[in-house]
Amino acid sequence: MKFLENLPNFLFFTGKGGVGKTSLACATAVRLADAGKRVLLVSTDPASNVGQVFGVAIGNKVTPFDSVPGLSGLEIDPQAAAQIYRDKIVGPVRGVLPDNVVKGIEEQLSGACTTEIAAFDEFTALLTDEAILKDYDHVIFDTAPTGHTIRLLQLPGAWSGFLDEGKGDASCLGPLAGLEKQREKYKSAVDALSDPNRTRLMLVTRAQASSLKEANRTHGELSAIGFKRQYLVVNGVLAETDTKEDPLALAVYRREQAALASMPDALRTLPIDQVSLKSFNLVGLPALRHLLVENGAVPEGAAVTLPKLQAPDLATLVDGLVGEGHGLIMLMGKGGVGKTTIAAAVAVELASRGFPVHLTTSDPAAHLAETLEGSLENLTLSRIEPHAETERYRKHVIETKGKNLDAQGKALLEEDLRSPCTEEIAVFQAFSRIIREAGKKFVVMDTAPTGHTLLLLDATGAYHRETARQLGPSGIHFTTPMMQLQDSKQTKVLIVTLAENTPVLEAANLQSDLRRANIEPWAWIINNSLAMANPTSPLMRQRASNEIAQIEAVTTEHAKRWAVVPLQAEEPIGLERLKKLARHPVRCDTSVPPKGSFQAG
Amino acid sequence: MTKIQVYDPALCCSTGVCGVEVDQEKVTFAADVDWLKSQGGQIERFNLAQQPMAFAENPVVKSFLGRSGAESLPLILVDGEMALAGRYPHRSELAKWANVSLPSSETKQTGGCCSGKRCC
Repeated sequence: MKFLENLPNFLFFTGKGGVGKTSLACATAVRLADAGKRVLLVSTDPASNVGQVFGVAIGNKVTPFDSVPGLSGLEIDPQAAAQIYRDKIVGPVRGVLPDNVVKGIEEQLSGACTTEIAAFDEFTALLTDEAILKDYDHVIFDTAPTGHTIRLLQLPGAWSGFLDEGKGDASCLGPLAGLEKQREKYKSAVDALSDPNRTRLMLVTRAQASSLKEANRTHGELSAIGFKRQYLVVNGVLAETDTKEDPLALAVYRREQAALASMPDALRTLPIDQVSLKSFNLVGLPALRHLLVENGAVPEGAAVTLPKLQAPDLATLVDGLVGEGHGLIMLMGKGGVGKTTIAAAVAVELASRGFPVHLTTSDPAAHLAETLEGSLENLTLSRIEPHAETERYRKHVIETKGKNLDAQGKALLEEDLRSPCTEEIAVFQAFSRIIREAGKKFVVMDTAPTGHTLLLLDATGAYHRETARQLGPSGIHFTTPMMQLQDSKQTKVLIVTLAENTPVLEAANLQSDLRRANIEPWAWIINNSLAMANPTSPLMRQRASNEIAQIEAVTTEHAKRWAVVPLQAEEPIGLERLKKLARHPVRCDTSVPPKGSFQAG
Repeated sequence: MTKIQVYDPALCCSTGVCGVEVDQEKVTFAADVDWLKSQGGQIERFNLAQQPMAFAENPVVKSFLGRSGAESLPLILVDGEMALAGRYPHRSELAKWANVSLPSSETKQTGGCCSGKRCC
């Protein structure tokens, strides 16, 4: 593995949820410790399964692992760090200022920015503490700060009149005011991060087009701020020898190889490693020690008996959506879980039942919408380009509102406009033009605003004004989109996830965020389920059986209604395949489909 | 020397870009504050989301919040007395309070049609 050679002190694994950052970080840590190094493993994984992986309870303090000499762990919970910060700010005024004022303040401090800066603050301590490097040869992080955070910290404008004066009047850096660290400290943390002799950053991806694209985006963003040399680690690649004439496994194999073959050019120039898909869950030391062994055949266990999974299919779920024949349906979930596909399948189901449907997607990669063009008479399609929308919004703001600012002020405004909130707002603004149609037809969207954004906008009233302006006298009986979204008769939010630990956890976080805004998700959809697809190869069967616990967690703890969509052998594009995706082979029957009933390729 | 204190609503960004629509008033005001400082004026800003204690500790601000709510911010105090609420001051007003002279070209902007929000 190239990424393991000549390692510097600090290692960061970055990538979106569910690609296996934490597993790779753990496996790397064990490998280095086994080689006699002193290693500190730092996890910010919200699933916080590092403790579980090593069978030790660790928390927000350095804890040695007895099972691996030389290895210690530390868990940072960014949510908890953000909560501590919120309490510090809000605590003293609770009961002093009016309740609704206090509530408004708390919401302002509940965004992604606060969490991220709070996490970076914790990193800073580790990156700049000389004692750490005396005690450890390597410090390994299972996440990395985003380009947005680093850029902010690099901007002189973000600091002017800020920490120097002790006034928190700057931008998304606000949270730092309460954390009272010195500017010098942040500067040396950023310096350490950008020095390849001290830090190596691994971009973790899966062998999927969307995942590779995301890695490419991160690479571009980091390169632009001078972090040029990352290592690409493609995790969980299915080996041809593991397909064992399973048509589904073969289809997955071909799809992954095709995705790797058409990898973005910029990524090709990086050192690249592939880690093969393992049948086992990455829990326990033997499993971790096997993860990074190339061609390391793990002895096959006994044949897996998969329990018969009884779960409603998407078509059954749509039966319950029909209601009054119109309304807004929003698919929500982290990137890469297949929101656009599910949105398209829901739209096709509704349209083929004769309802007028408008499907609108924001997935820039979605050729999917085009494959449906003109296929159903009562299905209309539209696309919103998130980058284009955000760019237009940014340009507009800078040209109009920022025209009188000096260079520093302009730079700060530009960076504020690069925050994740801005993109969400710009996209949702575009969507809100379409929402009004939901009074007479079904509008299906592959995205939804987070509860935080809604609360923020609702609190400022800005949203209300904006919508009133956009809706004009259209005669729709609602006052704010917030109210429309809260009304389960008008709006149904469907949460899309995968039957894996981190994606389920992230989906649960999205749900609690929505509940904060009094929006109750209507149903959950578990996408790309292997357990539902009845694979035949031993490796795929083992992985399918690993899903059962996660599916159970969704159905018993999180979801009021749910559907499971099996992993498709064919790319689910076009009318016929989307219909197939929504229906289990034999509805309400649990018999295994006969071998060879899939058409691979 | 006159002390101007600005009590901002809860903002996650000083530029106010986190809203659906960027508020020109906030962007302009941020620039005006910089200008006043460069002229030697004494002006302080307090963000409700970051320094709520500053709001709670000042009896004028605290009772204003209790009576009118956070939606009536910003509140501007000059030497501790309420000078303006519900909108941000213009550069000319800041200059008047702080006894700083405006360049002659800017005095013309005083008043006129643009004293409210977004009317131009």
